[in-house]
Amino acid sequence: MIELYAITSAPAPEADGLRAIENDGLAALCSVAAERQLSAEELWRREEVIESLMQDCDVLPVRYGTVVRDADEAARFLTSRRDELLQALERVRGAVELAVRVAGDERAVAGDGGGYMRVKTRLLEMHDTLSALARESKELAPGRGAYLVGREDVAAFVARVAALEEANEELSLLCTGPWPPYSFVGP
Amino acid sequence: MTTIAERDVALVDLVDRLLGGGVVIAGDITLAAADVDLVYVGLRAMLSSVATAEEKGLLGPLRGSSP
Repeated sequence: MIELYAITSAPAPEADGLRAIENDGLAALCSVAAERQLSAEELWRREEVIESLMQDCDVLPVRYGTVVRDADEAARFLTSRRDELLQALERVRGAVELAVRVAGDERAVAGDGGGYMRVKTRLLEMHDTLSALARESKELAPGRGAYLVGREDVAAFVARVAALEEANEELSLLCTGPWPPYSFVGP
Repeated sequence: MTTIAERDVALVDLVDRLLGGGVVIAGDITLAAADVDLVYVGLRAMLSSVATAEEKGLLGPLRGSSP
């Protein structure tokens, strides 16, 4: 069994500890699947591998825990989903994902209806402001946004997040990344 | 994302993305993490300590990003 990490255009760059299975202009980067205890270290280990790959090329990260039987099966997957994967690579070309999480003042969120509505309105405004700086945006959950941002626009985006936080005393914003575009590879 | 503190703060976002995002392969291909619910239970325990450290709470449902 082999574990899939990411899909890139072929030829794939060298990646530490990964093997590239190439077919039809696409490459699947993978390693021999191993039983691993799930932990924060294990997730970061995997993330580091994909992030280092992201330095050299555009990548489509594969969901954690995805394994296939063998190289043939991986190659068949590349062929059967070729058009969709090529479109996805085009979509994320030159871009990274940034996460913005709102950590609000609990009193404002759980308090009277007026306070709740005020916070909710503020969140929507922030999301709109940040979306304007991104190629695409998604709300993963209330107060947890994902933004697909061109690599050249990352600094401006981060500065805008800082400015928004400055202007809103009730809410604090946590911006993390750049991440591989996990939230922008599917429909 | 280099320091431990930064990683603690970013872990929530990492979990959302690794387990809820990325290219999904369906059909005759199996998932190694067969019981994803168990994975989430384990991570929830891990994340609750992160929440405390963060002193900001409001981590929201972990399932929020699943399709």
